[in-house]
This record gives sequence, C-alpha cells and structure tokens, in this order.
Amino acid sequence: MNRVLTLAKFNIGILLSQRTWFVLSWALFGMQLAVYGSLMSKLVSPVNVPDYFFFYAIGLMVIIVFDSGADVGRHFVEHAHEGELPYFLSLPISRRGFLASQAIYGIANTMIKILPPLVIVLYFVGRLTPQGVFFAAIALFLLGLGITGLMVSFSFIAFKSIDIYSAVIAGLSALLVRFSTVFYPLIFLPNFYSPISLLSPLTYGADLTRWILGFDSTKLLDPTVAAVVVTAIAVGTLSLSVRIVDKIIEGVKAS
Amino acid sequence: MSQLGRLVRVARADFSYFFRTKWLMAILLTLSLSDMLVTALVYGKIVSGLDYFHYLVPGIIVVGLFSAATDTGRRVWLALRDGMVQYYMTLPLNTSGLVVANIISGGLGGLVYSGLLLLIASIVITPQGVINAILILPFLFVLSTGIAGLAAFFASVSRRGEIYWVYAQALQVSMVTISTVFYPSSTVSQVLPGPIAIVAKYNPLSLAADVLRSSAFGSSPLDTNALGNLVATSLPLAAVGAIAYWFILRVIRANGKP
Repeated sequence: MNRVLTLAKFNIGILLSQRTWFVLSWALFGMQLAVYGSLMSKLVSPVNVPDYFFFYAIGLMVIIVFDSGADVGRHFVEHAHEGELPYFLSLPISRRGFLASQAIYGIANTMIKILPPLVIVLYFVGRLTPQGVFFAAIALFLLGLGITGLMVSFSFIAFKSIDIYSAVIAGLSALLVRFSTVFYPLIFLPNFYSPISLLSPLTYGADLTRWILGFDSTKLLDPTVAAVVVTAIAVGTLSLSVRIVDKIIEGVKAS
Repeated sequence: MSQLGRLVRVARADFSYFFRTKWLMAILLTLSLSDMLVTALVYGKIVSGLDYFHYLVPGIIVVGLFSAATDTGRRVWLALRDGMVQYYMTLPLNTSGLVVANIISGGLGGLVYSGLLLLIASIVITPQGVINAILILPFLFVLSTGIAGLAAFFASVSRRGEIYWVYAQALQVSMVTISTVFYPSSTVSQVLPGPIAIVAKYNPLSLAADVLRSSAFGSSPLDTNALGNLVATSLPLAAVGAIAYWFILRVIRANGKP
C-alpha cells in the first residue's frame, strides 16, 4: 500500500508542477461559460430548458471530468511510448498497485480541475451549499473513475499505433459528448439518437450532477438509475482496464 | 529550377502530408459531422426565434476550416521540436520560400477540408447560391492561410515543452467563442461589452460564416464589403505568422538552434 501511495505521490508531484495547465483549464472554463454560456442562454427558450446557463455550466464541468479521465489514459500511453513503462514495471509493486497509483493520480487531476469551478459556479448561481458541493463532487468523481477506466482500457490500441489511439479517443470523445445530455436534455434528442445517448456514460453523470444540484428533474433521467449506472461504469471499466492491462502490458516497446 | 518552382514543390509535398495524416482527417470529419447532424439538429429544437440549424451549419464549416488550418501550427511545432527543421533548411529554397510554402499548404488544407464540409452541408441544406459558394472559396483560402499563419506564429514562439498546446487551445476557444459562428451579432451586442462585440463582429471566422449564410446558403448577392473585410483581417494574420516563423528559421540558420 505504501508503495502505491509513494508512486501516486510521485505522479501527483509531477501533476502539481504543471500549474499552467490548471490555470488554462480554469481560464478556458470561465471564458466558455461567460461568453458561450451567457449567449446561448439568451437563445435557448426558457420554456424548453429553464436556466440554460446553469444547465450548460454543469455540462462544461462534465467535459472537464471527461478530459481529465482522457489525460490519465494519455499519461499511461506516454509512459509506454517514452520507454518509462518497463522502468515502472521493474519497481517492486504489483500491476494492480501500479494501476491503483494511476487511478489516484487521475482522481487528483480531476478534483483539482473541477472543484474550484464547481464552487465558483454554485456561488454565482446562488446554489452553493456544502452538501451540494460534496455530493456533486462524488458524482463527478465516480464519472471520472469510469472515464479513466475506459481510457486506460483503450490504451492497448496505443501499443499498436499512437496515431490510431489518438484518432479513436478523439472520435470517441466527439461522439460521447454529442450523443449525450451534456449540452441538451435527453427529451430534445431526436428519437433515432436517444438510444445512442443512453449508451454514453456522460448522459448519466451530467443528469445525476444536475439532479443533486437542484435542476428541474422533469428534464433529467431518473436519478436512481443515473447513480446506479455511473457507479456500475466506474467499477466495470476499472475492472476491465485491470484485466486488459494485466494481459497486454508485457512486451510493450517504446516507439 | 527557379525559387518559385521549388516553392511550389515544397508546398505540394507539405500539402500531401495533410492527406497522409488519415487519423487527423478522421477526427476532423467525426467532429464536424457530429456537430452538423447532432448538435445543430438538437439546438435547432431548443433555440427560439431563429432557425438555428440553418444558422449553425455554415458556422460549423468555418470551424472545420479553422481546425484543419491550425494543423500547420502542429507541424511547425513538431518540426522545431524534433529538429526536422534542420533538414528543411538544407533544401535548395531560401527561408522566405520555405515559410510561404508551409503557410500556403496550411491554407490549402483548410480550403480542401472546408470545401468538403460545404459539399456535405449542401446535402442537408440546399444552397441558394451555388455560384456564390464557388466564388467564396478563394476567400476561404485567404482566411485559411491567415489561420495557418497565426498557428505558425504560436508554434514559433513556443520555446518550451508542450506550451504550444496551451496557445493552440487558447487560440481556438477565444477565436471560435468570441465570434458570430454560434450566435447572431445582435445577441452578442446585447450580452457582451461593446469592444468585445466589435471584435466578435470583425473576427474573420464571423465574416466568413456570415457570407456563407447570406450568399451561399441564402439568396443574397455576394457582399463584397464583407469579403473585403475578410481579406483585410486574414492577411495580417498570415503576415504575422510568416514573419515569426521566418525569424525563428533565421535564428536557427545562424545559431543552429531556436
């Protein structure tokens, strides 16, 4: 356990040294919310989506969680391609311990990126409560774990080709975000798209977080279903990533 | 062979790289098509007082052009980082020619991609002015060259590590968000302070999207004033990028490193 924490601490130390990325992430969030969020909330009819600004703000936070999970996958892939993976594997730590350290790194990355925007947004929209922040952070944390597991599971593609991995991840990101309730409620998706959007983990994470923060529940999925799905995805994809990485991690060569 | 002939050959070789990065094309197409066929469609149902689907589709073409043209920045950055630029400088082409060739190839990449999106968009929205759409293409090339120049500028000034990606992301968010690509200028002036609303209105991406909306997908005649503004705002961007890239190449030629 101590070894897992030592490795996680090392990774988080590197993470904290990259302050520019955090500042950029918060600045871009602020700018997108202030400009795009404000302008689109003027265009979107309040009859269709009441308080679109708040709806969009939560969606944008889900995007940060998604990007953060994708970061962990990329981090893992970079370890492999820069030749660091064999070094990590030579450490006196189990494969599961190594993955656990990556997951802790991912959680730290997500929480650092998400907590300041979450608190500031809730303060500005007058919905700031300790319970709200706590439970919304848990929902986003679970979603982040699910995305991290998904991205690490896909990392086996990168062991074949980093370009194909980049293409798959970017294409998958585009589809997961657009076919989800990140930017619009499920009821407005055309019937032929709705089933696809129910396959996106972001749909459940976004609606669960909105429900926790008091958004009109008639525009959202059933919160119990959303909570069960988000938890199941987190557990399922992390288990999958453990199995996949356990099987394919041997023989990975640096590019 | 003359310098011009060599410039054309280098630009052609560089342009062919755009088609060889199939993963990039796949990403760009997935993004643009899902924006057109999902995002625009759904927003069209929740936005009131505006046919938002028809409004957004031309904007998506311009955002696609932007993404394709900024690939020049990525390639310049990779060339500087990996030392490939040293090989470029052994080519029988002077520094200015190399800079112009790289920026023109970036412009062509953006043009090809936006032309492709224009064709796809024509399936979902019937263009009222097909001739106008063809006449707009050279102006889209100028815009694409300007964006490629701007991306080359940021790649040239990125001295350390991954900082280029910080600049690239900031450039994309600021240029695309502060524009009329996603929202009409009347809404922008209602919400944003005056100077920012003016920046959004004269943003070359806004000008291109507006011309496409009115003259290619709409039935208005070509707005020569808007096209003039598009050229006037795009060319300085190309010039700034060209000068920065030229300067960095001169420094490398003199010192062996940036």
